[in-house]
Amino acid sequence: MQLRLRKHWSRLACAAAVVGAMGAGAPQALADVIKIGAPLALTGGLADEGKKQKIAYDMWLERVNAAGGIKVGDTMMPVELVVYDYQTDGKRAGQLTEKLITSDKVNFITAPFGSGHTKIAAGVAERYGVPIMASVASSESVYDQGFQNLFGTLAPNTGLTDNMLKLFKAKMPDTKTVAVLGREDVFPNAMAKALVEGAPNFGYSVVYDQRYSVGTLDHSATLSAIKAANADWIYVTGYTQDLILLRKQMADLGLTAKIVTMITGPAYKEFVDALGPLADGVNSASWWHHATTYQSSDVFGSTKAFYDAFVAREGSDPDYVHASSAAALVALQAAIENAGSIDPDKVRAALRDVSITTFYGPIDFGANGMNGGRDLPIIQVQDGTVVVLFPEAIKQAELKAF
Amino acid sequence: MSAFIGGKNLGLTIVLGVVAVLIALPFIGDNYLVRLATFLCLFSALALGWNFIGGYAGYPSFATAAFYGLGAYVGALLQNAGTPMPLAWLGAGLGCAIFAAALGPTLLRLKGHYFAVGSIAIVEIMRLLASIFADFTGGGMGLNVPILRGGPDFAGMVFLYAMLAVAAAAFLTTLAVDRGRLGFGLRCIQQNEDAANMLGVDVNAYKTAAFVLSAIFCGLAGAIYASWVAYIDPTDVFSILLTLKVPVMVLLGGAGGAYGPLVGVVAFMAMEELIWSNFLELHHGVLGVIIVILVFFLPGGLLKLRWPQILGRFRAGGDAKSEAKAAAE
Repeated sequence: MQLRLRKHWSRLACAAAVVGAMGAGAPQALADVIKIGAPLALTGGLADEGKKQKIAYDMWLERVNAAGGIKVGDTMMPVELVVYDYQTDGKRAGQLTEKLITSDKVNFITAPFGSGHTKIAAGVAERYGVPIMASVASSESVYDQGFQNLFGTLAPNTGLTDNMLKLFKAKMPDTKTVAVLGREDVFPNAMAKALVEGAPNFGYSVVYDQRYSVGTLDHSATLSAIKAANADWIYVTGYTQDLILLRKQMADLGLTAKIVTMITGPAYKEFVDALGPLADGVNSASWWHHATTYQSSDVFGSTKAFYDAFVAREGSDPDYVHASSAAALVALQAAIENAGSIDPDKVRAALRDVSITTFYGPIDFGANGMNGGRDLPIIQVQDGTVVVLFPEAIKQAELKAF
Repeated sequence: MSAFIGGKNLGLTIVLGVVAVLIALPFIGDNYLVRLATFLCLFSALALGWNFIGGYAGYPSFATAAFYGLGAYVGALLQNAGTPMPLAWLGAGLGCAIFAAALGPTLLRLKGHYFAVGSIAIVEIMRLLASIFADFTGGGMGLNVPILRGGPDFAGMVFLYAMLAVAAAAFLTTLAVDRGRLGFGLRCIQQNEDAANMLGVDVNAYKTAAFVLSAIFCGLAGAIYASWVAYIDPTDVFSILLTLKVPVMVLLGGAGGAYGPLVGVVAFMAMEELIWSNFLELHHGVLGVIIVILVFFLPGGLLKLRWPQILGRFRAGGDAKSEAKAAAE
């Protein structure tokens, strides 16, 4: 029996060796292709967001490769996107980032959705010195670790809240109190904190300030407490599913106020679709809106061209996730062209110097790798459609009371 | 031990061979393989840790992620306070041991389903505590851990060896427990706790000892994980999925021995890498199906199957097929 077993094991070992050799041989494909690795959440809790990133990357990729690729020095190099699904599992995000760098030998990486997973992927990329483009991580805490390779296209959170405070005070001077409820998670928490810290500077007093934990399904106790606080303005942060739930439970309890903000609910089409009439009057800030009118020399050409191309392709409106994801690759492309090389050190240096206007808006990475602030749009759902309240240049409607 | 591992020496030889390959891996394999191997050691440590309470004592514990997460947080906080990395890991192991020793005497009075529910509640409570005490733990913002300098190859090697050391320590402890008084007492508890109590086994002390051993290895693994990824947050380390995966791994291999958990970890991870990539949308469903199959068809795990007969039949079947094919041609 021993002998038989040994024979079996040796067969297994042979099979393993063959598989291993195939694995090692396959990735050494063409050397004159620029490879960009994308660990994406295509399944699991963040699947909707991960798929949005994928659409944006594909749109960019089609245009770049249709033009022959990216101009590197005197040659045009086509681009290949290597996508893996990390199943919304942080451990897997790190693992696949390492696989992309070591097995697939990608030149650059794009970060997954959200601040937390971006940070895990960025930790791996930092070890290897591979530039990583973060398109959907806006919390400054992601950029505070001194990473040299992390570049984000969203602007800092605090820019979102100050404009909002200023606008609402100007339009509705009789609002004085605000109740803040935030999800205990990187981005929503940062947004809640930013408002609490900014409110006194604009004449608002915070009468309620609490966090709810990830996965909370019953908000009735918190919402009753907010009702008791009787605030003029209710400001809630969370991800789309939380906000839909919260809005429905607010309606059940008859909780209302002059202003209701849900960060960043109305920025997502899913929020408006799922809530229907309940979404009316809810406002939010966003990093981008398709009503902006930037002209650019990138593969998309202008905000309108991007919008039209997106609607033609997907049959729905793009949101900031789409735009920021495509813009991250536009910025990377500009840096590669400026560097005239795909050497990670040269591209990293070029990314630091990038200062361009894209279809998405200006991109200029600061010392921590984050895109500089600018006037970010404030939006509100009015009669089932999302309209822009601010900035003045692209304003579509006035703020309506909730 | 089992019918398949024909004698303990063969099992031990295979384990030593795998350990030798793992030690050599940073020099011969690429970093992705090193990372996979580190996960292999991580889950081996967790599975062997769970085996003390779940396998030997027969208590269906789902507290693995509670210890793992606690270890990650204690290790990370100690490191942020300036403790050298290896000392922070040991501190995390110690912290988890104290936590389990304090918790064990009360929690382990529950039995069966009640214990399972109680232990899973510990994970949820720990996750909420880590979220709420934001000033201390960083809350939902997560916690940065100083990143290990020295490049990816060096970091890969350090964390692989550290995880391997924890897994090896868990394995050696298991061997010692298996052959010693503690293992005997725990098996008695598993078979009939009341009878064991009557016969003079101090059941509470034995169960708590198993719980503490389980906590130490999970805590050490968690602390090393925290240093490895350099960033942790409550949902990542206090993960329900992790707490479910580990018992499934052990049951897949065979609970209540030193080799079963290791076989289960290897089999599970191989499935995950090879098959699960083909079931993108369904991978959680596939996990559920595996659990059901385990309960119905493999109550003793892979190691308890009568492998010689199965292989013999498989071989006979294969030969018959090829002969038939040859005849047809």
